[in-house]
Amino acid sequence: MPNKANILVVDDEPQIAEMISASLQLYNYAVSIAYDGEQGVKRVGEEKFDLVIMDIQMPGMDGITALGEMKKLDPEVEVIIATGHGTMGTAIQSMRKGAFDYIHKPFEIKELFKVVERALEKRKFNDITRAIFSTVKPEEQLRVIIDSVTRILKADESLLALPDREGKLQVAVSEGLEDRESRASRLALCARLMENPDGAAAKAVQLVEAPARDKKFSGIGGLDQLKFSLFLPLMDNGKLSGLININRLNEEAYFTEDDLQRARIFGSLVNLALRNSSLYRQLQETQGQLIQAEKMSALGQLAGGLAHEINNPLSGILGLTQLVMENTEKGSQNYTDLQDIEKAVFRCKKIIVSLLSFSRQEKTRIEPVNVNEALEETLTLCARQMELKRVKINRQLSPGLPMVNADFQQLMQVFLNLFTNARDAMPEGGELTVATSLLKDPAGRELLAVSVADTGAGIDPEILGRIFDPFFTTKPVGKGTGLGLSVCLGIISRHNGAITAHSVPGGGSTFTITVPV
Amino acid sequence: MAKRVLLVDDEDLVRNYVRRALASRGWDITEASDGAAALALLDRGFDAVVCDLKMPDMRGEEVVKRIRELRPAMKIVVITGSVSNLTTPIVPGVEVDGFLIKPFGIDEIRELLEKLVNS
Repeated sequence: MPNKANILVVDDEPQIAEMISASLQLYNYAVSIAYDGEQGVKRVGEEKFDLVIMDIQMPGMDGITALGEMKKLDPEVEVIIATGHGTMGTAIQSMRKGAFDYIHKPFEIKELFKVVERALEKRKFNDITRAIFSTVKPEEQLRVIIDSVTRILKADESLLALPDREGKLQVAVSEGLEDRESRASRLALCARLMENPDGAAAKAVQLVEAPARDKKFSGIGGLDQLKFSLFLPLMDNGKLSGLININRLNEEAYFTEDDLQRARIFGSLVNLALRNSSLYRQLQETQGQLIQAEKMSALGQLAGGLAHEINNPLSGILGLTQLVMENTEKGSQNYTDLQDIEKAVFRCKKIIVSLLSFSRQEKTRIEPVNVNEALEETLTLCARQMELKRVKINRQLSPGLPMVNADFQQLMQVFLNLFTNARDAMPEGGELTVATSLLKDPAGRELLAVSVADTGAGIDPEILGRIFDPFFTTKPVGKGTGLGLSVCLGIISRHNGAITAHSVPGGGSTFTITVPV
Repeated sequence: MAKRVLLVDDEDLVRNYVRRALASRGWDITEASDGAAALALLDRGFDAVVCDLKMPDMRGEEVVKRIRELRPAMKIVVITGSVSNLTTPIVPGVEVDGFLIKPFGIDEIRELLEKLVNS
């Protein structure tokens, strides 16, 4: 262990200050002394201390005032208040000001050590807490977690096992496990423990001595080295989702009751931190969607007004063009030109219809909807087109799903847009997979999920972030309005749902919609 | 005798082509550019009214409602530049005989009116 901690002793009685200092130095602590409150505060401002042991009754600035000043300068510093004239009142006052604890003079040095050790332990946990809460990036956070646990539990090796996307348990990070075989054997150990969760015990810290000899782990090789194994549960929504495994290889290095206590505290900190970062990521995602929905709504209002103003003159252009056509010789250049004008008007009309459906401001007509039914109806609508484009439709609709409150027509419009996009993504044919399932969000609410997957070219990662933007299209001029996915996003947002896209270039795209049940 | 239609729209451009499209099929057209004028002309006797929904003086919905009250059997066709939702009635509380969404072509208005008046 490196030099333990940096401690400041503040006492106006030099003998006492020096006595405390000398005792602490015997235990390898770095100790400084200040002889009054002002000087103490000054030292805290100049230097990083882990702990201050301070007398309460001092000439000039008293201990309680100094404590307040010190906490202002360094909120993390722990302060133990020592008092010879201690009434309960001043002690409580000092605790309120943020003291870690108080100790009555005269005290035995043993007594002081106990308090010092506890304060430093809290400091250590504060540092760890700060570290594991300092990032919400999963890789960084897991690395910090495994480094911290290895340090505070003096582990020879440690690993953190979490399920991957497919639900298979994997080593997320490890420490002191260089070769693949040992990682695999430890992972098997964790997997075995997770397969047989012994009820409530699965949610608690578990200690196993010499796992190679434990029949629970029979059949797993490569465990002979392990003398003491500790398992910290990782929870997700009240369910065991992963484990931290900490191992000591030395026969004498058993885990003490203090170690177990540390492991429990650490375990709950880790679970809090993981939950915190998962919530943070969700918040960011939701915020992103909200901002997008706001943008849509503002643009929708503008577009709606614009569309209305354009329809009158457009109607005039169409009608007059057709009137002139009636007096023009069919097959003449003029006639062909007029036909082109007519077609252009129909193109405008199509754009405007999309704009209007996008800017729809009135209440959606909400009723209990069977989502599978809406999908089936939409699929029936496009069956012929899909057949023509040699697109095979795979239905993976879960039976017996609950109804959702939704606007049937609007849901059909969303599905139709997604199916059309999928078809266009597969000009050479392919497979369209439509699946429904029931999920739970992290808050435990039920969500109905619809996924629409194609086997087309996929979406370039560079544009994946823009596909829900209005007027963004990859289709040739005149073929797409760039509003389809914006409309989908608008509709799904109005249903309090979410729509996301996943794509691997060359590996097709999957759009997933979730709506609350 | 030629069938008579009252055409109500504040937009000259629209009245222009609708009038000509119908006149060339033998319809007798009377035009009104706002709701008040339309209601004042109603006594002249028409087989059908073609009415825009968004006009400056009076909302088209109001005009349509008044015409329906005054002439319960009148064939009423609504023409409008914006329909946000086809599942709700085009003019809430009033039954209309047909509607067209702008931009609409000359054959669409001809066919609709001919169907309504000859039925």
